Amino acid sequence: MKEVMAIIRANKINQTKKALVAAGLPSFTAVKCMGRGSRPVDFEMLEAMNRSPEDAGEILPILSQGGRLIPKRMLSLIVPPQKVQEVVDIIMQENSTGNQGDGKVFVLPISDVLRVRTEEEGLQAIDEMQQ
Amino acid sequence: MLMIRAIVRPEKTTEVMQSLLDAGYPALTKVEVAGRGKQRGLKLGEVIYDELPKEMIMTVIPDADKEFVTRAILDSARTGKGSFGDGKIFISPVDEVYTVSSGVKET
Repeated sequence: MKEVMAIIRANKINQTKKALVAAGLPSFTAVKCMGRGSRPVDFEMLEAMNRSPEDAGEILPILSQGGRLIPKRMLSLIVPPQKVQEVVDIIMQENSTGNQGDGKVFVLPISDVLRVRTEEEGLQAIDEMQQ
Repeated sequence: MLMIRAIVRPEKTTEVMQSLLDAGYPALTKVEVAGRGKQRGLKLGEVIYDELPKEMIMTVIPDADKEFVTRAILDSARTGKGSFGDGKIFISPVDEVYTVSSGVKET
């Protein structure tokens, strides 16, 4: 099993959920989190740039310093290995706007899964994803 | 690539984040969590707190930078009084990393 952990924009979560359900991957866990990327954003500078777009050339380099956090959603799905590429593709397709801050997708190994209700183990515990 | 999940005191997160920024690792995710350690929480008089608020800082780094980043977190998260509750750092492997905006696979 693999865990696909995606950190995405909070306003893209509904769209991503719909796309995943349509692909037969209904189960997931979502967490509200805060984060910053390799290019953090300073909001005051961003507002200053919106007021006077002609200064963008000077302001943009300064924007990349600073370290404020931005609210994000963390989405986590446990899937069988053969589904990983499909899930990653769906998440990338739904969340890609081409701008920085779209997020990251991580694929992590999972050693075992147990279903609490029936004590089923391994792939059987996530069989709703296997149709 | 390795994922570092550090559970630290909420009052220490700004310090940890600043030291990571200074060390050249600005990218991270922060989640507010609640938990307890092997001391079974905190007992103040009659009241037992078995869910203490903590913050989890999550970051993904190249394998080679493990020592450097854990050192930066350890030095900034420690209160230095030898008291319990400074937190834990967990490190786990990451198979693949993608950037959504560019669609680039980074591993």
